Amino acid sequence: MKTAALLLSILLAAGVARAQVALDCHFAPGWEASGVVRQFTAENLYDYKDGAADGYLSYGFARMSTIDCKSGADTLTIDVSEMNDADAAYGLFTANRDPKLPIAPIGMGGQIQSQSATFAKGKYYVEITEVADNPEADHTAVMQAFAAGIEQRLEGRVTAPEALQWFLQENLDSIRLIPESVLGLKLLKRGYVAKYKQGQAFIVLESSPESAAEVFKKLRAHFDGSAPAQITDEAFQAKAPYLDGICVFRKGRFLAGYANLPDATQAAALAAKLAPRIP
Amino acid sequence: MNSNTSRRDFLSTSLSAGLALPVLGATSAMALDPQSAKAATPAKLDYRTLGRTGLKVTTVGMGCMITSDPSVITRAADLGINYFDTARGYQHGNNERMVAAALGARRKDVIISTKSHAPNKEEMQKHLETSLRELNTDYIDIWYLHGRNSPDEVPDDQIEVQQLAKKQGKVRFTGISTHNGQQQLLPWMAKKGVFDVVLTGYNFTMDASMDQAIETAAKAGLGVVAMKVMAGGPRRQKHGDPVYKKLTQEGAMLAALKWVIKKPNIATTIPSITDMDQLDENLKAMASPLSAGEEKILSAHLDAIRPLYCRMCGQCDGACQKGLPVADVLRYLTYADGYGQFALGRERFMELSAEHKAIRCGDCFECSVKCPHGVQVFQRMARAQELFA
Repeated sequence: MKTAALLLSILLAAGVARAQVALDCHFAPGWEASGVVRQFTAENLYDYKDGAADGYLSYGFARMSTIDCKSGADTLTIDVSEMNDADAAYGLFTANRDPKLPIAPIGMGGQIQSQSATFAKGKYYVEITEVADNPEADHTAVMQAFAAGIEQRLEGRVTAPEALQWFLQENLDSIRLIPESVLGLKLLKRGYVAKYKQGQAFIVLESSPESAAEVFKKLRAHFDGSAPAQITDEAFQAKAPYLDGICVFRKGRFLAGYANLPDATQAAALAAKLAPRIP
Repeated sequence: MNSNTSRRDFLSTSLSAGLALPVLGATSAMALDPQSAKAATPAKLDYRTLGRTGLKVTTVGMGCMITSDPSVITRAADLGINYFDTARGYQHGNNERMVAAALGARRKDVIISTKSHAPNKEEMQKHLETSLRELNTDYIDIWYLHGRNSPDEVPDDQIEVQQLAKKQGKVRFTGISTHNGQQQLLPWMAKKGVFDVVLTGYNFTMDASMDQAIETAAKAGLGVVAMKVMAGGPRRQKHGDPVYKKLTQEGAMLAALKWVIKKPNIATTIPSITDMDQLDENLKAMASPLSAGEEKILSAHLDAIRPLYCRMCGQCDGACQKGLPVADVLRYLTYADGYGQFALGRERFMELSAEHKAIRCGDCFECSVKCPHGVQVFQRMARAQELFA
């Protein structure tokens, strides 16, 4: 039992060491730590994030380091979430970003506001939230300083996922990674969805062309009255409740298309433009 | 719960009670699926009255937190679900925006609840205005203080903000959402008399003290909305874990949902729904009561978690050679791991003597305490020390 306990403690220590991100509050003058760095895993994130924990878990959450900082009457909290991979980190950022605000060039992408900041770098997703004595105060400079300082300490990719570039850019509103059930369809497990002024496009990557073909077949059966479309490997178009005019095509391992257009023909026309952009 | 009552006995007893009691205020209706992408199937709806609000809510509502496509919410409303839950903090406000987009045309037909996690009065007022704007509505049906786990976390000035919002017509009813400490918070809310609704974690793994707290709240006129009805659900488990397998077996989630809505003090539930299939599955919970087969599924799940969770039966075999109050420490761990009450578990652990807090079970060659129900005492004690100490 002693050997097992020793092994367990070594494993736990290794796990904790891996989880630790060098985190403190010395990113802007006058800020000091208020308490110690706390660690959370998927098992106990509920203790910290309560009802919001599922949002993190659905994107592939591994662990989180968090610290509270204080400067006079102002406090801020830094949450550094380590996700399973960089795409998941960027995905969580896209879920939380304000689509009305531009993306700032920090890490793979971020947003800095007067009392909050978020960004993703490598497999890390960072949230900085201030509770200022004066809720109207503009503390953008503090947020920028903290975000820049933390970014330097994190390793990993600084370029956004390649798939984002494949979407047509005209009239593009925002792009999100959907961690499960793209378009509300269980068959489409995980993928990117781009919202446009009218309609939405999606790209889902399957593990192989064969599995993509299998999903395509089931999707086609799901939409009554679908008609074939002439796009890449195979495609269909349909008019469906809730998704309106929809066109789905398969290109190798990818399933992609357009939905929520006034009619299926429009969806197919846009899908035909999207297809050559996907490798 | 009687200290000699096993968790399985509790399950059966509770189920019997739930089935025997009349469901007050419940009515039924049939809603036709107007234009599903799949074959339309009629959905049977059950309604209950949400406490003193008088609102008639479907016993299955919808938690929108991790829903990513608005079409699922729209279809849920089309199928007759009328209670939708979101929060200011979900996805930094993006969730409220999506709920608004999905329900826009049906605003008057549905009940929307949202929550504020603001730490002070000023932020809370800002949250309200932002929620109204993002939800694209003139009023919020139910406005919760988000995630408060004890009366100490409910300052008077925040209650005043809620009451003022009610007077201004911006909010119809107020409440608190809570994940932990219900045994203390719910009776306090019942006595306070200023709240209309409570949103609480509640599922088949919980013990009778939770039922008592909920009954106290319901008797005082509070409408009770249940969340975490799937006992954490498969997202909380790791793939390959036997518990995960149990939770993902066909019918397990539906059985868990049915177990909750059979409780007459629960007005509605807000399971998270991410796709049309889950929506259809959850609607079945209103169509038929919990069957004997489904009861077996839940019992099997309880068996699966048995090595992890102390049932607090007090029948530990043997005593700790170092004097540790093993049953107590296991109970504290159950607060954290079983019921999500980490703070309470740690608080109790820290009340142990310094000598007891310093003991590490890994230092012993063999554990002298055995559990007649199969709880792995050594491993669980080690976890408690790792978690709390």
